[in-house]
Amino acid sequence: MVEKIKQLEMSGITKRFPGVLSNNRVNIQLEAGEVLAILGENGAGKTTLMNILYGLYQPDAGEILLNGKQVRINSPSEAIELGIGMVHQHFMLVPTLTVCENVILGLSKKFFVDLKTAAKRIKEITDTYGLAINPEAYVWQLSVGEQQRVEIIKALYRGANLLILDEPTAVLTPQESNELILLLKNMAQQGNSIILISHKLNEVMAISDRVTVLRDGVVCANVKTQETTQEELAKLMVGREMAPCRREGNYSPGKIVLELQQVHAKGDKGSEALAGVSLQIRENEILGIAGVSGNGQKELAEVIAGLRKLSSGNISLNGKDSTNMSPAEIIEQGLGYIPEDRIHVGTIPSFSIWENLILKDHHRLPFAKYSLLQNRKIMSHSSSQVEKYGIKTPDLETPTARLSGGNIQRVVLAREITRNPVALVAAYPTRGLDIGATEYLHSKLLEARSNGVGILLISEDLEELTSICDNIAVLYEGKIMKVMPVEEADERTMGLLMAGIA
Amino acid sequence: MKKKVLSLILAALTMLAFTGCAAKPAAETAPQKTDGEKIRIALVLPATVDDMAWGQSMVEGLKAVQKSMGEDKVEVAISEKLGNAVDAGAAIRQYATQGYEIIFAHGSQYQSVLNDIAKDFPKTTFAYGTGFATQPNIFAYDPQAQEGGYLLGILAAKMTKSGVVGIVGPVESGDAVKYNYGVQQGVAKGKADVQTRIAYTGSFNDIVGAGNLAKTQMSAGADIITGSSQQAVGAVRAIGETKGNYWLSTDMDQSSIAPDHVLASQVYHWEKVVNKIIDLRKQGTLGGQHLTLTLADGTIEFKYNEKLADKVPAEVKAAVETAKQEIISGKLKVELPKK
Amino acid sequence: MEGFMSIDIFIIILATGVRLATPFLLAALGEMFVQRSGVYNLGVEGIMMMGAFAGFFATLQQGSPLLGIIVSLAIGALMGLIMAFVSVTFKAEQGISGIGLYMFGWGLSGLLFRLYVGGVTSIDGLKPIAIPMLSDIPLIGQVLFNHNVLVYTAFLLVPLSGIVLYKTSWGLNIRAVGNKPEAADTLGVSVVKIRYQCLIVGGMLAALAGAFLTIGQANMYADNITAGRGFIAIALVYFGRWSPWGILLGSLLFSMADSFQSMVQVLGINFPYELAVILPYMVTIIALAISYGRVWAPAALGKPFERGTRG
Repeated sequence: MVEKIKQLEMSGITKRFPGVLSNNRVNIQLEAGEVLAILGENGAGKTTLMNILYGLYQPDAGEILLNGKQVRINSPSEAIELGIGMVHQHFMLVPTLTVCENVILGLSKKFFVDLKTAAKRIKEITDTYGLAINPEAYVWQLSVGEQQRVEIIKALYRGANLLILDEPTAVLTPQESNELILLLKNMAQQGNSIILISHKLNEVMAISDRVTVLRDGVVCANVKTQETTQEELAKLMVGREMAPCRREGNYSPGKIVLELQQVHAKGDKGSEALAGVSLQIRENEILGIAGVSGNGQKELAEVIAGLRKLSSGNISLNGKDSTNMSPAEIIEQGLGYIPEDRIHVGTIPSFSIWENLILKDHHRLPFAKYSLLQNRKIMSHSSSQVEKYGIKTPDLETPTARLSGGNIQRVVLAREITRNPVALVAAYPTRGLDIGATEYLHSKLLEARSNGVGILLISEDLEELTSICDNIAVLYEGKIMKVMPVEEADERTMGLLMAGIA
Repeated sequence: MKKKVLSLILAALTMLAFTGCAAKPAAETAPQKTDGEKIRIALVLPATVDDMAWGQSMVEGLKAVQKSMGEDKVEVAISEKLGNAVDAGAAIRQYATQGYEIIFAHGSQYQSVLNDIAKDFPKTTFAYGTGFATQPNIFAYDPQAQEGGYLLGILAAKMTKSGVVGIVGPVESGDAVKYNYGVQQGVAKGKADVQTRIAYTGSFNDIVGAGNLAKTQMSAGADIITGSSQQAVGAVRAIGETKGNYWLSTDMDQSSIAPDHVLASQVYHWEKVVNKIIDLRKQGTLGGQHLTLTLADGTIEFKYNEKLADKVPAEVKAAVETAKQEIISGKLKVELPKK
Repeated sequence: MEGFMSIDIFIIILATGVRLATPFLLAALGEMFVQRSGVYNLGVEGIMMMGAFAGFFATLQQGSPLLGIIVSLAIGALMGLIMAFVSVTFKAEQGISGIGLYMFGWGLSGLLFRLYVGGVTSIDGLKPIAIPMLSDIPLIGQVLFNHNVLVYTAFLLVPLSGIVLYKTSWGLNIRAVGNKPEAADTLGVSVVKIRYQCLIVGGMLAALAGAFLTIGQANMYADNITAGRGFIAIALVYFGRWSPWGILLGSLLFSMADSFQSMVQVLGINFPYELAVILPYMVTIIALAISYGRVWAPAALGKPFERGTRG
């Protein structure tokens, strides 16, 4: 193994992709034992920078210095040899292999695989850092948190002493996140260097020693964590003052636009997921559904959108009984829907942006005439939407799957809101989005509310719910525990209701 | 872009490989104006020109005609490996368009495509077989396979030591059924307690399957085996590797494959059929006749393998000869399977 | 009907089944490696035809079936290389490339046969080798230990493939590349190299399967000699759930059913022949339908590998 990494410097790194300048003369430094957070919104160029360090991409300009010496990293295996390890946001594990096999993949140069020796070394590593894992378990059997640990072990096994983690807590439960934070601190104390890519301010504050903020591919700040605040970092990251959205104006609801009466429905596994839900949503109202996910939220959104059958009960939309309507008829009746899985349900990922923007109206005027698509109308509509909703894309033909999560959500939002719905169901609309995108989405929901739309907002984020909702209902095991005005919804009351204690 | 170029190259290579073997004979005889003297004949085959069976027997018939009439008087073009009737239809139509006067579609499966094409070329003569349905410009030819089968059956029954005669059949249809039925009757006539065991491979061209089926026949006790279609050569080869077992061939004399094992053959003499069609056409008859191949008119020949002829006792030969004369004279009528 | 299912008949059925299973086993084990690495090669049939011809031709020319085996292995490797070039390097759609390779193999083998041989020609192929001692064991001896060398090879390849796949570094790399190539890539395992290697091995085994037909069974060559066996081999890979033992089971099931139905026909048991000949297919399809589940397939099967481009 080569010498331990005491110091890393990336200077003047520039990387261009077709249509995007992803990194523009970026400089970062890191010392051994230090945790550096690279903070930035989605698409700011964080991941690109780290992929360059890990040898997956070659920079168009700039250099990488390790312990003061310039290095060229042409491939991940070269990065590994230099002592750099990476834990990708989407785990790079083979689910059908065991933990041990995953760890030694690519290392074993002998004819036969020596799993025993490998398992012993894995145990040494796990003992050093207090990571519990069974080397014989198959990866597909592991929880997300355990899989992440396998990724870390994989890097350590290869002698990594500089570890890059890409959005490590995005997929973890709060408890798993806390464990990870402790682990990373422990590793840093033992002389390893850690680079953390993140857009989550609280975790950056909790783990890092120093923060480098990236915005649109440029470094816009490099500060010590102790000398800054969450608010300041937010401002640096987004590039402007952050004013959290609050609902304004009085609560003056109109007529009922969406009503559920004693709705029962089954979940995917056949057990009862909704057990007699009754709700009313009026014009100019945002009704929040609070609760730990898995308590019937998904099914609730789906029965309203007509994607799931009711076992019993009634739903009426805009004054008409929509209980047995097809999804198409429900759309026709004026329901907008921002689904939980925005990529696969909200859009057709391989379709271009313009195709996704007209997905619900492609068959009628002005987009279609005598069943023929009206290209000019569609393109002018689409480009105005892209501009109005600030969708960042090279062009209208780009497949939607290529966009970042926030931009995909903007495409869905643009399509749903432009259709002037009577009622809108939004399931976890800000999950995984960065602050800027979240703020934008909130403002758009509030704007729709003031235009008279009745909105059902499903969310796990209490702060989100209390800041923009008029009323909040708590869903627990398929039942509505209580519906209350937002003023009454303090954290303690809600917490109890979410745990099923009335 | 690269991908497209590559696919094109691959496609071209594939086409080359195919045209190289499939339509080569056709390419050799590029369209040329007939001088009125020369007769142009085309042949479309389901299998190959050298299958040692159905296809090759017809090719040799045409060659014999060419030889007897003179190379300058008869032109022959052949397309092979056209088991698929649609592909065959395209080839047939092309030959008709190029002005071939007589087109042989050598398989019963070509009947319906021929009916379609023949309407568009009323001056061309078409012929196919095995079959009997005709059109004004379509001849149907029909070897009476059961006649030779009967004689071979008698021979088999009298020669078997194990008392079991095996048949390696292709698919239970048309020709094969007729032939097998003839063999069965012959065996029954030859010796009462000899069994005939019929098994099919389910394919016409699986020589490996035919070989394996022949091995199974032998392992279950058969020591004399026969069977029709082009896959039969696989069975002949399998028997050729054993001792004390014999094969009886049909369509062609297959003794060259296993000189010490092919005892006798039923041979089709297509040249006589071809000649007859040429003559009828000259007289103005373009089709409409059902032409049979029989022992009586010499288009079917019963033939011993000379090398093994002395292994067959004289009284056996006599019995076969008697039956042959009875068939020729019409005294004995070998039955056909009732539909 | 007399004596049916006597012990002798039973041995014949089993011994024949073992022999019939050989080409399926060889080709399917090869295809298993290919699919495990994330590529499906539908050109197996074409490679088999080329292997059948190459083995036949070399044996005809030099009188040595062993040379026939070597030549067919070389040709198979070359055919696998072509498939790798088209489907891995150029990332062409694998289904189409495979069918292209099949037609190419069919056309070329037919052409070469016509140019250099022509007509029905016999060769002296491989002879059965009775293994001393073992072949004398009652029952099993005749069923298992009186075959030619390719039969033994095919059956020995079953445990050998298992060891390669599950115990060696190469096998580990193959399983990783076929399930999550991006993970293998980040760890320095070359996806392209592994897929090339697997396609070459798969090609060699398919060609060997073809050679078995000409120099191990028919002792002659004819156009389209494989008669669809390559496609059955591909189906058996799915049946066997990409495992050597599963493939062994599938090959034996199919071949034993085939051997059994031949015997049923030969013995004149009153059973419609149409049903008899489809019996092996029916048994296999039913077994497949009962047991099939997508979860077993290599996750990256059929997907060309490309490094992500999003930053």
